[in-house]
Amino acid sequence: MLLSALLALATFASTRSSLLQQRESAALTQVFSNARIVRDRLPSETDPIKLLQSLQTPSSSHPIALDDRGRWHAPDPLFGQNALPEALRDAVSNDTPSRMRYALRGEPYLAVGVPLPNEGAAYFEVLELDELEDTLRQLSLSLTGAAMLTTMAGAGLGWWASRRALRPLADVGQAAEAIAGGRLDTRLAAGNDADLSVLVTSFNGMAQALQDRIERDARFASDVSHELRSPLMTLSAATELLETRRDELPQRAQAALDLLSAEVARFQQLVEDLLEISRFDAGAVRLELDDVRLAEFVLQAVAASSAPGVPVEVDAELAGVVVRADKRRLGRVIANLLDNAGRYGGGATRVALRRVDDGGVLIAVEDAGPGVPVSDRHYIFERFARGGVSGRRGAGEGVGLGLALVAEHVRLHGGRVWVENRAEGDGARFLVELPVAVS
Amino acid sequence: MVAVGTRILAVEDDERIRIAVKMALEDEGWTVEEAATGEAALDSFGRHPADVVLIDIMLPGIDGFEVCRSLRRVSDVPIVVVTARADTHDVVAGLEAGADDYLTKPFAPKELSARIRALLRRARAPDPATPQLNFGDLEIIPEAGVVRLDGSEVHLTKTEFRLLCELASSAGRVFSREVLLERVWGYGYFGDGRLVDVHIRRLRTKIETDPANPRHVVTVRGLGYKLQG
Repeated sequence: MLLSALLALATFASTRSSLLQQRESAALTQVFSNARIVRDRLPSETDPIKLLQSLQTPSSSHPIALDDRGRWHAPDPLFGQNALPEALRDAVSNDTPSRMRYALRGEPYLAVGVPLPNEGAAYFEVLELDELEDTLRQLSLSLTGAAMLTTMAGAGLGWWASRRALRPLADVGQAAEAIAGGRLDTRLAAGNDADLSVLVTSFNGMAQALQDRIERDARFASDVSHELRSPLMTLSAATELLETRRDELPQRAQAALDLLSAEVARFQQLVEDLLEISRFDAGAVRLELDDVRLAEFVLQAVAASSAPGVPVEVDAELAGVVVRADKRRLGRVIANLLDNAGRYGGGATRVALRRVDDGGVLIAVEDAGPGVPVSDRHYIFERFARGGVSGRRGAGEGVGLGLALVAEHVRLHGGRVWVENRAEGDGARFLVELPVAVS
Repeated sequence: MVAVGTRILAVEDDERIRIAVKMALEDEGWTVEEAATGEAALDSFGRHPADVVLIDIMLPGIDGFEVCRSLRRVSDVPIVVVTARADTHDVVAGLEAGADDYLTKPFAPKELSARIRALLRRARAPDPATPQLNFGDLEIIPEAGVVRLDGSEVHLTKTEFRLLCELASSAGRVFSREVLLERVWGYGYFGDGRLVDVHIRRLRTKIETDPANPRHVVTVRGLGYKLQG
């Protein structure tokens, strides 16, 4: 764009100056030859006007003569001595031939003055530059027009070309975003452009490889966990058998058996948790909704948990309320939160079920433990995040998936879970908000 | 308590699980017969019927569903199917094939023993003091374990019979799934409602003249099931 503008400008400028110069030199040549004629004929001329009129002057040029007696002669009264710029007349009266571009009555003119010292006379011509200016103006207009057109055409072409070139990039960008967002089966359409087909092919190839890899990884965690289940079952059966004969064992063996039982149980829980989480990763999870009498459900869930004695408070308005929820998952949420309270919070002190103003319900599990520092409140819901308190690596230790599973189950229901510190004294309050339609 | 000499047939192709199961069940005092394939299981049962059959759904050769259906054609023996947790369709399919209950792998052997005990309890004749109950063309004789529809005897599994008796115990009363799970299967609140749903379906196919429009075993939306005359 800039280039064409500059080009037009340069063309115009150089054309203008060269045209003007040409005009001038042509004019000057003419003027001087006319001056010679006047010099030769004026002294003996009885009719100077006629003489002037007989001169070779183009229609746009007006001759003026000053004779030796100081009388001005001009065929065109409009172009007489007053049409000449004073500076020019002065210069000529000092015997200096001059030329001058000036404006007369708003129009551009070129005045040339040739002194004729031997005769005591002078010859002038006033040339209209109108025509030239017109031509120049037209030229400049056409150049401007051309420049604008080429600029616009260039811009239009450029825009169209870049859009065409960029659209596939935009498509690629969108496809990449979709894949990053989890839609691993996103692919680019083939399209007609041969140049782009290379891009499309390699992108699709990459996406497929990525999808395969991710699915393989997800399957791996799941496969490993599956494989571990059978031997664990055998271990568990064997330890159970020993448990039924615990009394027959000497004391040290009993201690060893207790350790064995606890660790096998922990190992089994880990494998089950891993499998559950790998199912979330593989996207192979579905809510199995049931009609759930919420209040009764929470009471039962607490009763079946590791902390059955914890008091449960239910909002009066939620007493007979039925919601659509996945019983198994919600059951795990409450169980895990209670386990967590037991492990890190010194035991849950209260479970509350409240109605939320804008619809939905809130389940709270509170404890009287050390609470959760603000900096840890996101971290604890991550996988394998364990209580950061030092020395907590005892036998009762979890593996760090409990809260991560809570988060996944809650998220699947469209809800959210977070932790606060209790205002009234020490301890943490875990809150689960579920946007269930309360009927 | 359970009778000594109770025979359990365990149909399982995974040797490790077979070992675990045998160890746990024999510890309870029961006799365990093993079969690694469906064919072997049907063969064994044909020669000497067991008191309870445990079937893993995933078997080489004929699958567990087929074994279940084949057994049901000739017997009301209590059947527990074992499914892999991942596929929940297996549970419903197993129940529809005729199973009384299910377990998902991995299961604690303790759990298996508990289920089998519950099944054996159901298999025993119910309280003889319970009088005969009539609901239109439906006759229920609890002490004999017999049900008649329009005079002809209907063959129900022990679980189906127990379910019917529960519903009949308070005719017209609506029983929730949870209550039925508790009374019939011995599960607490977190039992699987599908056990009830599939058994109701099976019951209807046997005692309703038009199972799609049941007159006796009726669904009460959002509340549960009831029996009416």
